[in-house]
Amino acid sequence: MDTQEALKSAETLLTDYPSTRPEENRLDVTLAPENLSAVVSNLVAARWGYLMAITGLDQLALDQLEILYHFGAGAAVLTLRILLPRTPIPSVESICPIIPYANVYERELGEMFGVEFRNSPNTDRLFLPDDWCSDVYPLRKDAVLNEE
Amino acid sequence: MKLDTTVPQRFVVPIGPQHPALKEPGHFEFTVDGEQVTGASVRLGYAHRGIEKATEGRNWVQNLYLLERICGICSHVHATAYCLGVERLAGVTAPPRAQAIRLLVAELERIHSHLLWLGVAAHEAGFDTLFMYSWRDRETVMDILEALTGNRVNYSANLLGGVKFDLTPELTDKIYKGLELLEERTHQYVDVVTSDATLLQRTRGVGATTREQAEELGLVGPTARASGVERDIRTEAPYAAYPDFPVQVVTATAGDLEARFVVRLQELFEAYRLIRAVLEKLPPGDLQARMPRKIKPAETVSRVEAPRGELFYFIKSNGTDQPERIKVRTPTLCNLASVCVLAIGSQLADVPMILAGVDPCFSCNDRMVTVYSGDTAHTQWTWKQLRQYGIDYYRR
Repeated sequence: MDTQEALKSAETLLTDYPSTRPEENRLDVTLAPENLSAVVSNLVAARWGYLMAITGLDQLALDQLEILYHFGAGAAVLTLRILLPRTPIPSVESICPIIPYANVYERELGEMFGVEFRNSPNTDRLFLPDDWCSDVYPLRKDAVLNEE
Repeated sequence: MKLDTTVPQRFVVPIGPQHPALKEPGHFEFTVDGEQVTGASVRLGYAHRGIEKATEGRNWVQNLYLLERICGICSHVHATAYCLGVERLAGVTAPPRAQAIRLLVAELERIHSHLLWLGVAAHEAGFDTLFMYSWRDRETVMDILEALTGNRVNYSANLLGGVKFDLTPELTDKIYKGLELLEERTHQYVDVVTSDATLLQRTRGVGATTREQAEELGLVGPTARASGVERDIRTEAPYAAYPDFPVQVVTATAGDLEARFVVRLQELFEAYRLIRAVLEKLPPGDLQARMPRKIKPAETVSRVEAPRGELFYFIKSNGTDQPERIKVRTPTLCNLASVCVLAIGSQLADVPMILAGVDPCFSCNDRMVTVYSGDTAHTQWTWKQLRQYGIDYYRR
């Protein structure tokens, strides 16, 4: 499928939500966290691309954490963005029941940014060591690491 | 995927963290019933260095050298993905000659990586002769890379806005000669992996993945292509000089280890063809475009096809000379989780082969964060000390 056609079909699937086109091959859609599962189910049912990665962004100034779900279809990239409060530990529904292989991405994000994934089949640590302190989330902007 | 240890009469076999099949660290736990695997779980992070976090405290140029060191096998693709992303953010396009040289080095790297894998996989199968031959031949491409860039690993061919190295007539000759030898040897390897009875017993029908499974598991790269999934960023979203030098995607349908051997070896022929095409039609011109020091706030996604599959970079700039966030998703993370699923039902003895079959690269996978606890004081250097050491070393 052509890139622009792919983006158009994604737009049709996601008409109810505010979207932007930050680059020629990209579509960003902002969702409320409670709509995430339904939207992901729709994308999977429509066989629109595949989940490429989940990125965490710490918006310290806004006191929020942003989670970006990147889907790819050919050169087209669709990003679903959700915003969560930074404190207490933000919580979002796991998408593993819909996309099982998302589990490793969620585990990485969970331990690095301190996000709880509800109804995830596995929330064990993936990268961080067993004796890592439980309240330090290294990729948050205010994490104190003894680097210096 | 989570290991259920509450069920009795099951035996758990821990494999790793010291080289589980490969000489890199990762930890797997397999539950077995006799010789048959009934469950599996994975734990990573043993080669975790804190690179994603470290990028946030360094400038755009410093990060190029840092990110290139994520992986010792596919260092060039990391640098390429980063450079292409940062150039897009800055609105700069590298000159055509630089893009062609990026492609050339990327394909040379693919040859070295696939031959390396062939050796490792042969070794896992107990076929050490094939391992030694393939690694001997791999030296040919390593010599080419060294002659071209001065380095056997971390070639450092990329710069923001272009490349550092140009091709000379002597180098071109050397590459043609090397390719001739490698092509002849690759024919031999294809013959061996499809006809050697002992090897076929270890590969044919082992770890078979159907097309549906491959899509469900989110496989990428040669691992996915061996199951008939035509997923290759070089053709789906061509970058660097790939629009001018199109790639023929190699696929197979069987999805077993044999198919993965064949797909990777056939990709070598494609790499030889691409390199020759680049050498014949190398565009003239500059090697580097001018890059700004600071980059306005924006976000971009950069994807390239690493030897192991799709490499994904998300880069966010904030108007300074440092990135706000760089997210790296390596192909091994996509493929590794599949091992836990594919291993179930197979013989324990086949597990190392199934693991090697996805061509995992643990150091790619484990990035982020300087981790430290316990007594470290006298051996751990701070970044400042390390940097000063480097400066002093090169001033001498």
